[in-house]
Amino acid sequence: MPIININNRKVHIQELNKEGRETVLLIHGMFSNLSVYYFNIAPILARHFHVVMYDLKSHGMSERVTHGYDLNSMTDDVLDLLNSLQLSSVHVVGYSFGGLIALKMAIRYPDKVKKLVLIEAPDPDDDKTRDIIDDYNKEFLEHYVENFTDTTKVKMGKRQMERNHRMYEYLFHETTIKSDMLIERDFFKAEELLKVSKETLLIYGASSNCLDAGKQLEKKLKHSQLLELNGDHNIPIQEPVIVANKMDSFLKQAILSPL
Amino acid sequence: MDNIAAAKLNNDEIFDLMKQFITEVIGEEFVEEMDITMESSFTKDLEMDSIEIVSFSEKIKAHFGDQIDFTGWLSNMDLDQLINLDLGTIVNYIEECQ
Repeated sequence: MPIININNRKVHIQELNKEGRETVLLIHGMFSNLSVYYFNIAPILARHFHVVMYDLKSHGMSERVTHGYDLNSMTDDVLDLLNSLQLSSVHVVGYSFGGLIALKMAIRYPDKVKKLVLIEAPDPDDDKTRDIIDDYNKEFLEHYVENFTDTTKVKMGKRQMERNHRMYEYLFHETTIKSDMLIERDFFKAEELLKVSKETLLIYGASSNCLDAGKQLEKKLKHSQLLELNGDHNIPIQEPVIVANKMDSFLKQAILSPL
Repeated sequence: MDNIAAAKLNNDEIFDLMKQFITEVIGEEFVEEMDITMESSFTKDLEMDSIEIVSFSEKIKAHFGDQIDFTGWLSNMDLDQLINLDLGTIVNYIEECQ
């Protein structure tokens, strides 16, 4: 597994088509990992782009870290990743919480970002997200898996349940993730959002409970377009080929100037 | 360390190699409890999740190099095919590609 050091921690990365002229960085969501892109979306984008994926700290095959889950720390990690790979500017794609990281990159390091694709980025002020963390216990996970993961068709077995349980236990009880997420609750209200000038594609599931967040972002981001696809919050897993092709077309178009 | 295989492997040898990769990915303690056969499905029987299948794919890539586009082959499958993918199908694919 390709591992690099980011801010002195081991981070698992994957790259496709290193010869590609432009780079697309793919950021996954909370409690997920880079595999959400690896099998379908990344290979489609790699027909035209150099594709970089990485596992967020404590996720997938990356090293566990007790702190630094706020968007400033997460974007510091992205900056260090880009510098390590000697990438001056890239297209940034983020799914769910990864979408918030991508958006924060455009705010903090606009020179590093070409275009943005935000897939199902949630409003951090939505209580449902934080309730999951507050109410977490193993029974919750079992109930959640039994009742809410059917849209991706994959049911967890005993070993996977244990693996996931250990990850949630670690993240919720041994890291600063709860307090770090609270810091971000007003992110959608921040003035800095209105200053983002990057061309942005917003991809949301038409039946997703995050769709309102997409509509909010479309109003606030001046060069954004909202694309609703048939599906819910799991849209990259439900419709990976459509999602990848929409992104590919959007990223291939020449950047409008001046922005 | 894995090396690019020079000699063409037969069906049994590929099966043993795949078992070795699976053991490396999910750990010996879990494999001991399993009866891994050509009919074992990746998600249901072996309970491999997607990041473990990424690790498994990387091992195939490291071992066989460019002669096998395992990730490309997987990427052409839909979710149902991936869920039902068994070890025998992978062994046959690798044997054909060599």
